[in-house]
Amino acid sequence: MFDFINGETVSIILFFIGLYGLIARRNVIKSIVSVGIMQVACILFFITANFTEGLQPPLSDSAPSVMADPLPQALMITAIVIGISITAVSLTMFITLYHKYGSTNWEKINKRRAELDD
Amino acid sequence: MIDPYFIIIGPIFIGMILYLLPYSRIKYVSVLLQFFIFVSTIINYLYIRRSGDQLIPIGSFDPISLISLRYDLVSSLFVSLTSFLFLAFLIFNLHQKYMNSLFLFLFVTLESLIITIFLSNDLFNIYVLYEVSIIIVSILIMFKKEATSIYDGFMYLMINIVAMCFFLLGLGFLYKTFGTLDILRIRDMMPMVSDPKVLIIPYSLIITAVGLKTALMPLFSWLPNAHASKGSPSVISALLSGLYVKASIYLFLRIKEMFSYNIDMSQFFLIVGLLTGIVGFLLATSQKDIKLILAYSTISQLGLIMIGINTGSEAALYGALYHIINHAFFKSTLFMTAGIISDAYQTRNVFEIKGLFKKMPVVAYTTLISILGITGAPLFNGSISKYLIQGSGGGSVMEYGIILINIGTIITFLKYSSMFFGQSDVKPLKVNTNRTVIVIILSSICFFGGIFGREMINALFNIQVQISALDYLDKSLIFLISLLIGYVIYTVVIKDSGFIRKVREFELGFNDVCVSIAVFFVVTAVMTYLKIS
Repeated sequence: MFDFINGETVSIILFFIGLYGLIARRNVIKSIVSVGIMQVACILFFITANFTEGLQPPLSDSAPSVMADPLPQALMITAIVIGISITAVSLTMFITLYHKYGSTNWEKINKRRAELDD
Repeated sequence: MIDPYFIIIGPIFIGMILYLLPYSRIKYVSVLLQFFIFVSTIINYLYIRRSGDQLIPIGSFDPISLISLRYDLVSSLFVSLTSFLFLAFLIFNLHQKYMNSLFLFLFVTLESLIITIFLSNDLFNIYVLYEVSIIIVSILIMFKKEATSIYDGFMYLMINIVAMCFFLLGLGFLYKTFGTLDILRIRDMMPMVSDPKVLIIPYSLIITAVGLKTALMPLFSWLPNAHASKGSPSVISALLSGLYVKASIYLFLRIKEMFSYNIDMSQFFLIVGLLTGIVGFLLATSQKDIKLILAYSTISQLGLIMIGINTGSEAALYGALYHIINHAFFKSTLFMTAGIISDAYQTRNVFEIKGLFKKMPVVAYTTLISILGITGAPLFNGSISKYLIQGSGGGSVMEYGIILINIGTIITFLKYSSMFFGQSDVKPLKVNTNRTVIVIILSSICFFGGIFGREMINALFNIQVQISALDYLDKSLIFLISLLIGYVIYTVVIKDSGFIRKVREFELGFNDVCVSIAVFFVVTAVMTYLKIS
């Protein structure tokens, strides 16, 4: 009955929750968190995409026929590392931005940026 | 053939060593090493031209999970272009104050990332390369730590990360269907897909991301601020506008080729390209900041290239590829001279800069040559590529669209060239010899690329393109008429109206950009669905 609640659907829902956060929230920190949610959704999708019940982790002593596909897992470790560093970089840059503009609101920052232009 | 590892790892390695050695004179060494990398890319290009495409595997994995570099004629040509422009940028920037070891490190690392984006045949690698290059580019934009450029760099970072999330989810769907992320292998497996509808979502996700990076119609609003940020160094602007967006166009070409068996959206992107071109020049003419004018005109030219890629004729495709190269040269020259001009006049307002011909003749003439190139004046390189994109078949709607975009470009640069004349009491800045030499070399390439246009295309892409003299004369006549129309429109309508001021203030915030990404994704998905079924 609850077959539709699998990794794929959950990840797609998560992805669009993240997108909603990006569209509807004006707070910069919340935007960064939303991007994080979208990245997690992608990672979940990759790992569960071709998963069937009963597969084993791709370790050396399991038979190749019951092994889960190792490639997405290897790729996703890279994606996780990238996701963390991206979040770290954007938070660091946001600190500098906050020092210069004194706000966490995209609109206020944008307005102040327009004033600086003149 | 020189091992591509050397070309890819080389710049990073050089940058790292230079970063560790705390001597200021070390930057001269970096120019020398950069020159060697340029020479080796040329050697590789000549090798590929002689002996055909190469697929170079990375590491010694089994053939199923192989990651490979695809060395074909076009990609190796773009690699040579990349290393040449980076050499030019390094020499141009040699005496700048901010040119420290950190800047050098980031700069040359970006070079190797761009080279690998051109070469890589694996979509996940491309994802990783883009993510790293986004971080580096945003740091380079805010390198001088001015308040405006920090905002621009941060905006660039956030928007592009969102786009890359779309890209990654698209890769997930592709991997689910094909079990591989190798571009060539997916292309070969395309006929085996029984129901093409499963490709709609991955296609639209990936194209949304690539469309954002190529600044297509609703997704371009990040580009001008990032490319023309107030505090960012002028070489960074030149690099982003002249080269970095071209990597995305090349990626677009490969994605289009990859899906071409099942999904052909040329018509859609033809229209999007036309709209991009028109909106680009409308916004460009309304700006008064010289760098912003150039950045918006990049959007307009990207639209033109998009049209060339999607018309379907081979001549137009090679015209578009040639226009990518041409645009790299004249836009880099324009951005670099704009940097020199704004340094000398201490302003970036196009109406406040006067008398450039008298004050800085070399800068003025190189700017003029680049302007003639970008507007497609006869004998200059832009005319050849625009001729090929237009094609010789007359009368289609798209041809008039291209002429309209060109009139827009002419109006834009009529406004830009108002800097040349008039009187000014600004003391001219002494321009260093290295800077002069670089802008002269780059602008002379614009000229020779026009005179020997046909020979250049035939030699570079190893094909035979016909350019009939009569047609070319016809196009030159059209250019002169466009120039006249453009001049009339500029002086009568545009010069300084209230409407223009309103257009200038049009700017999307971060949330609006995210809305436009979502809208573009939905529209692309719906259009693809309609096209397939």
